[in-house]
Amino acid sequence: MQQRSDERLVAYLDGELEPAERCEIEAWLESDAQARDRLTALANSANLLRLALDPAAREAVPERLIAAARGERTHAEAEIIALPPRPAARPQSLWRRQLAAPIAASVLGLMLGGGAGYLGIAPLLSRNVASANGQAAVVAAAANDVWLDNAAGYFKLFVRAGDNALVDVPATGDTRAALEKISQSLPQALRLPDLKPWGLNFRGARLVVVEGRPAAQLVYTTENKAIGPLTLIIGSSKKPDIAPTFNRRQNVNVLYWRHQGRAYALVGQADIGYLWGIANDVAWQLDAI
Amino acid sequence: MRGPLSLRQKLAGAPLRLISGGTPEPRFSDQLIAVLPRLRRFARGLTGSVVEADDLVQSACERALSRRHQFEEGTRFDSWMFRIVQTIWIDQIRARDIRKEEKEIAEERLGSDEPVRRVEARLALEEVRRALDRLPPDQRTVLLLVTVDGLSYREAAEVVRVPVGTIMSRLARARIALQAELDAGGSGRGSNEDAAAQ
Repeated sequence: MQQRSDERLVAYLDGELEPAERCEIEAWLESDAQARDRLTALANSANLLRLALDPAAREAVPERLIAAARGERTHAEAEIIALPPRPAARPQSLWRRQLAAPIAASVLGLMLGGGAGYLGIAPLLSRNVASANGQAAVVAAAANDVWLDNAAGYFKLFVRAGDNALVDVPATGDTRAALEKISQSLPQALRLPDLKPWGLNFRGARLVVVEGRPAAQLVYTTENKAIGPLTLIIGSSKKPDIAPTFNRRQNVNVLYWRHQGRAYALVGQADIGYLWGIANDVAWQLDAI
Repeated sequence: MRGPLSLRQKLAGAPLRLISGGTPEPRFSDQLIAVLPRLRRFARGLTGSVVEADDLVQSACERALSRRHQFEEGTRFDSWMFRIVQTIWIDQIRARDIRKEEKEIAEERLGSDEPVRRVEARLALEEVRRALDRLPPDQRTVLLLVTVDGLSYREAAEVVRVPVGTIMSRLARARIALQAELDAGGSGRGSNEDAAAQ
């Protein structure tokens, strides 16, 4: 009999009872102090159990598991996508390529630069594919390539500048006003994800360009070197939605996805597991999944 | 009563398109990666060990990839993965006749200058883990699926392939046993706290 009562109490706590049964239980609880104590004890033990195990879901996922999930036996570094060779007609030193793209992209004229890169790379890349049908895919890959490189470049610019890094809209003062200000340059209003549970503090925002359109680069910093700093790029996109996808550019980890006309890229040197967790949090807060 | 679905639950519950043969379709791996934190938590609860849990999740990933053609479109991906983890774990228990040891819980530092309240909280959570370890495997599994991971009774029943009524009774027994263990542990905790706080 006690077992049956406990079953019903547990099901009540779990929200698994039909409305009529719920009413019965509530009437019982109202009249029976012992049952109320029992219910409280069962609820407390469940909460303790969640507290004991939840940290396991917030830890960084080891790279060996990420590799296993991708069907790889090697280190996660193998996830770096082999890129077609850069156009030989425009030789650039590594540092110039890393710096030039984001710098160009952070001012108005950068939209032209992004377009030129897109158009300039595509015909050269097409020589590397045998079939004409493959060209569209390669062109798309090249465009993706440009913007992921830019995302990584923006991040590295910020890191190199350290404490002297400039942001267009600093986080000091009224954050809401800051967001409104930066939203004026964007096709859609910007919402700021709260990443304080990860120890990340919003430092400010910069205007950049993604896929030829203005975008916001949100900058977060933390004392925890294992996580931050991190940047989140939010821009608009006419491309179809894609699920969060990991990439690695210029020794920087990039998680990018598109959802309902918006493109997102979370960029940093944090472990991939952290990035997945933070990206999920961002997508949840911004309803971007 | 139940909170909103977490993002991972939404993501992991989304329909999945599969291709046969060749390398895994990217979306399959993405789904798998997205559900990894929850699988690790589930496996941690089952095994009580960080290393064993990660080994278990790794085996589950490998099995999922090799049997991805068996995944039925339209069903929940996370439930399918939970079932794989649980199946491998049960196989391991049967094969090895595992005797529970005091694992890394015992390795955590006890005597320290931590504040008393923190020590108390930590010891309480350790008791929960130990109490969980003492539950029979079938009760532990259901408790983790429903109470920790938020699956409904019906979803948990699909994972472990038993009727919903069985889930209900296993869950009640597990919660009662857990509560009893905690009550028993709580009465003897005071001396531990004092020792740890010194």
